[in-house]
Amino acid sequence: MRSLVRARSLVLGLVLGPVLGCDRPPEVVKPGAPSTLSPSHGVVLEDTTPKQDVRLLPAEAYMRSYLQLFGGLAPVDVQARARGADGAQLFDTWDDYLSALGFPDYRNDLPRGTQTNAIMVATFERLGVALCDRALEHDWKAKPAPPPLKERVVFAFDEPAAPADAKAFAPRFDVLHRTFLGYPAELAPPDRVKNFFELYQGVAKRHAAPGVKSRFSPDEAGWAAVCYGLVRHPEFQFY
Amino acid sequence: MKIATTDATPGATKRVDARAVTWARCPGGDSRIRGAARSSYRAPMASASALLRRHRAPVRATCRALVASAVVLAASPERAATAAPRTIDEYKHFRALSIDLVGRVPTRGEIEAFESKGFDRDAWIEQHLEGPAYADRLTRVYMDLLRLEVGNAIQVNPPATTLRRATLVGPDKKPVYVFYRRGQRRTREETDGDFCLTEAETGLKFTLNNQPPKGTAKPVPKAALDAHTVLVRPWWLYRDFLSLTPSRRYKAEWSDPPAGYAPIDKIVNEPDGAPTVEVRVCREEAQTRDTGTIYASGRAPPPPAPKPPAGSPPAPPPSYPFGRLRPLPVDDGYAKQHKGEPISCRSSLALTMSTDCGCGIGLQYCMPGDGDGDEPRAFSLPGHEPLDFESPLAAGAQTVSSWHKFWWREEAAHFLRRVFGEDRDAREVLTARYTMINGPLAQFYRATSPASCCGKERAFGMQEEKEPLFDPSAVPIALSPHDVDAWQVVSDRGPHASGLLTMPAFLEKFASRRARAAALYGAFLCKSFVAEDLSLTPSTEADLTKRPGCSTCHATLEPLAAYFSRVEETSWTYLPESVFPVREPRCKLNAQGKVPGFCETFYDPSFSDKSSGMLRGAYASAENAVAGPRGVAAAIVRSPEFATCAVERMTSSFLGRPLTGDDDNLVEALTTTFVEKGYRMRPLIGALARSAAYEKANNQRGGAR
Repeated sequence: MRSLVRARSLVLGLVLGPVLGCDRPPEVVKPGAPSTLSPSHGVVLEDTTPKQDVRLLPAEAYMRSYLQLFGGLAPVDVQARARGADGAQLFDTWDDYLSALGFPDYRNDLPRGTQTNAIMVATFERLGVALCDRALEHDWKAKPAPPPLKERVVFAFDEPAAPADAKAFAPRFDVLHRTFLGYPAELAPPDRVKNFFELYQGVAKRHAAPGVKSRFSPDEAGWAAVCYGLVRHPEFQFY
Repeated sequence: MKIATTDATPGATKRVDARAVTWARCPGGDSRIRGAARSSYRAPMASASALLRRHRAPVRATCRALVASAVVLAASPERAATAAPRTIDEYKHFRALSIDLVGRVPTRGEIEAFESKGFDRDAWIEQHLEGPAYADRLTRVYMDLLRLEVGNAIQVNPPATTLRRATLVGPDKKPVYVFYRRGQRRTREETDGDFCLTEAETGLKFTLNNQPPKGTAKPVPKAALDAHTVLVRPWWLYRDFLSLTPSRRYKAEWSDPPAGYAPIDKIVNEPDGAPTVEVRVCREEAQTRDTGTIYASGRAPPPPAPKPPAGSPPAPPPSYPFGRLRPLPVDDGYAKQHKGEPISCRSSLALTMSTDCGCGIGLQYCMPGDGDGDEPRAFSLPGHEPLDFESPLAAGAQTVSSWHKFWWREEAAHFLRRVFGEDRDAREVLTARYTMINGPLAQFYRATSPASCCGKERAFGMQEEKEPLFDPSAVPIALSPHDVDAWQVVSDRGPHASGLLTMPAFLEKFASRRARAAALYGAFLCKSFVAEDLSLTPSTEADLTKRPGCSTCHATLEPLAAYFSRVEETSWTYLPESVFPVREPRCKLNAQGKVPGFCETFYDPSFSDKSSGMLRGAYASAENAVAGPRGVAAAIVRSPEFATCAVERMTSSFLGRPLTGDDDNLVEALTTTFVEKGYRMRPLIGALARSAAYEKANNQRGGAR
C-alpha cells in the first residue's frame, strides 16, 4: 500500500512539477563577500601506499582445490561423482561452469575473469553445495560403512551426538575452517565460531520441523550448511 | 571425539617418509597412492573408472606437492612435536604461496606441516619453484597474454593430406567406404582430378565441394572396385603400420593405445558397425613413394562456350565428359614444361601435378575423415582442457582442422613449460630454435605443414618449401602419429626458427604481419599503440609511417611488421631471400603502374618502381625484412623494456592487480635480480614470493564473518 502511495506521488510530481514551476523566475546565485577559509585543523599526510585488494583465486586454482577436496580425482571423475545417480541434480558439467568460473577462452579471445560477478558467485554456490553434500554422503553416510577418519577430506571428524552443543561444535568447525580457509578458527574474527554455530543450530532446527523432507538428518543438514558457508566464504574465493 | 589430524588426500599421512618417497616415483603414479585414490572416491560410472588411468595428473600433482612438504619437514626431526605460533598474516601468506606455487589451497596436512617448528619457508618456496604447478603458473601468464589457440575461422585441411571418404554400395549391395583425396590426378581420363570411380560405376557424381554426392548409389562392379581401389592397413588403425604386415590393430592386438589417442567410431568401424581391419582407398592415394614425376596429360583445353546472344534465356549448366560435374583438368604451363621431372610427394603440387604420389606407407602422410565434406571428423578431443592435457573434460568428435589446432596450442604450452620448468633463459621464449612436439605434431610437421606450400610461389620457381621454419628432417623418426603423450625436444627446428614466433599457433593466431608485430610489442615490451587525437583527412599516401593520422602508430609498427615480411600471412611458409628478394626486378612496375599478375601476392605495387618490385611488408625496413623473425626476437630481447616488462607481467600476476607508480621500487629491484641471474624466472619469482608486497597483497578487508 505504501509503495502504491509513493508511486502516485511520483506520477503527480512528474505531471504537475513542470506546470507549477513554468512561470517561476530562474534562480540566481550571487557571489558572496570574500571571506577567509576556516583554519586548518592540522595536516594529514596523504596515504600514497598502493591500495591493495584481495586477489581472486585463479580459476585453475579453484578447480584444482575443488578436485583435491573431492579426493584428488580427475575432473571427469569428479563430475561423475558430483552428478551422482540419485537425481539430485547437484552438478551439471564442468563445461557449463568454465566461463562462469573465469576461465579464459583463448579460442574465442575471451580474457580471464579477474573479478567476481553475480554468475560467478552463483556458480561458486552451486559447486560448493555439490561438494559439501557429496562429501557428507561420502564421509558419514557411505554404505556399508563410512571411511576411516584419515580418508575423509572434508568432514574429517566423527559426527557428534545430535544436536551438537557449542563445546562439541568448535573443534569440528575448526577442522572445516582449516580445510577451506587455511587457518585455525581461533584466529578468525571473534564472532565467527558463534555465527557458524548459530547457522548450524538454525538449519538443524528447521530440518527437524514436522513435514520437512530432506536427504539429510537435521544434524547432517546443519553441518552441510556450515560447509556451504565456508566453501562460499570470501576468504575461500580470494587470497 | 575423533578428529583426523592428517590429510585424507591420498598418500598424505604424517607417516609419509620423505626419504622413502622420491619425486621420481610420483609421475608414474605410486601404486599405493593410486590405490588410495581409487578406494577413497571410487567413481560410480564405468566410463569414469576407465578414464582414471588417463587422468592421474591431479593425483600426481598432489603427490608431488605432498612429497615436497614431507621433504621440507624431514629436515626437522622434531616436526609436529610442538606447533610454532603463527600469525594470521603468516597463514595467509602460506595459503597464497600454496595457491601460486602448488596450484591449489593447502591441505590440512600441509597446514599442519607449516605450523610445525621445523618448517622452513624459504626451503618450501625453493622446492616448489621446481614443481610443475610453478611452470604452469608462469605459462598461464603468457598464454593469457597471447591466447595461443586458433579459432574456427582457420581451417587446416590441405587437399594433399586430407583423405575424405565416400560411401558407396559394394558389389554385395552392402555399404562400403572408399577414401580419396580431392583433386587427385589420375591417368584414367574419366576420373582424372576427381573421385576414382565414375558415375557409371557408382551411380554417384562427386561435387568436390561441401555438398554430398549427387545421384542414387548402385552396386559397384567388383572388377571396377578391384581395379581402381586397394585395401590398406592404415596408420590410424595399426600401431605397427610401417611393418610389412601390420598386425597390432587398435583396441584389438593393440590393447593399450595412449589415452588421448581416440579415433572416432566412424573411423574405426565399418558401415555395419563391425571393426575395420583394412580400409579401401583409391589406388593413387595408396602409393608410397616420396618422390613422384610431374604428369602432363597432353589434354587440350575445352573450347570456350559460345557467348549467348543478348536477351536469350540463361544457358543450361555445362555438361562434361563421362557425366562429371567438373571439367577434365588441363595441364598448366609448368607441367608441360617440366613433364617427367621429379617432384616431392610431400608438396601440395604433388596432388595436382603427379599421378604417382600418394599418402605413403599406411597412409601415414594423410589424415582420415569420416565423410566427403570440407571439414570431416576423425578423432575425439576434449572440448576443454581447463587445467592441462592430462586433466581433460569430456571428449567429442572433432574435425581434422581441430586436431591440428589443438596440438599447435599444446606445442606452445609445452614449450613455455619447458622454459619455465627448467628455469631456462626467459629470452628463449622468443629466440629458441628448439621446441617440443609429440606424435600428432610430428605428423603435422612431416606432412601437413609441407603440403600447405606451394601455389602461387611456383611462379617464382618454388615448388616446395625451400627453407621451412620447421625442417621436416628435424622431426624425430621415433615419434609415431599415435604418440599423443610422448613429448620430445626438437633441439633445432631450423635456421629461421625463433621461439614462439615461428610456431603455427602464433602465426595463425596473429595472421598478418602487423598483428604479429603488435602482439609482440604489447606482450613483451608492455607497450601499446594509442592513436593521437586528430581528425583523419583523405590521403593518397601509401606509406603509413607518413600518412597523417596513421603515422603515430605505424611509424613504429611498420618497421616491426617488416620483420615478418618473409613469413606469409595466414601461413607459416617462409619466403627465402634466394627466391623472394626484397627487390625483385621481374616485379617492376609496367607502363600502367602495375606489377605482373604473378607478383601481386608477394610484391606491393605501392612501393615498387620501374626497376623492381618491393616485397610486401618490407617497405618500412628492408633490413628488418632480411633479419626475419629471428631479427625481431633479437631486437626485442635486447630492448631495455624486455626485462622490465617480463618482471611487470609476473609481478602484476602474482600481486593480482595492475601495477602503479608506487610499485616502481619493487619492479626495479626484481628486474635487477632477473637480469643478474641471466633472465631466469625462478630467482625472480622467489624474490617476489618473499617480498613484502606479495606477503601483504592479501589485504583482506574486515567484515567477513
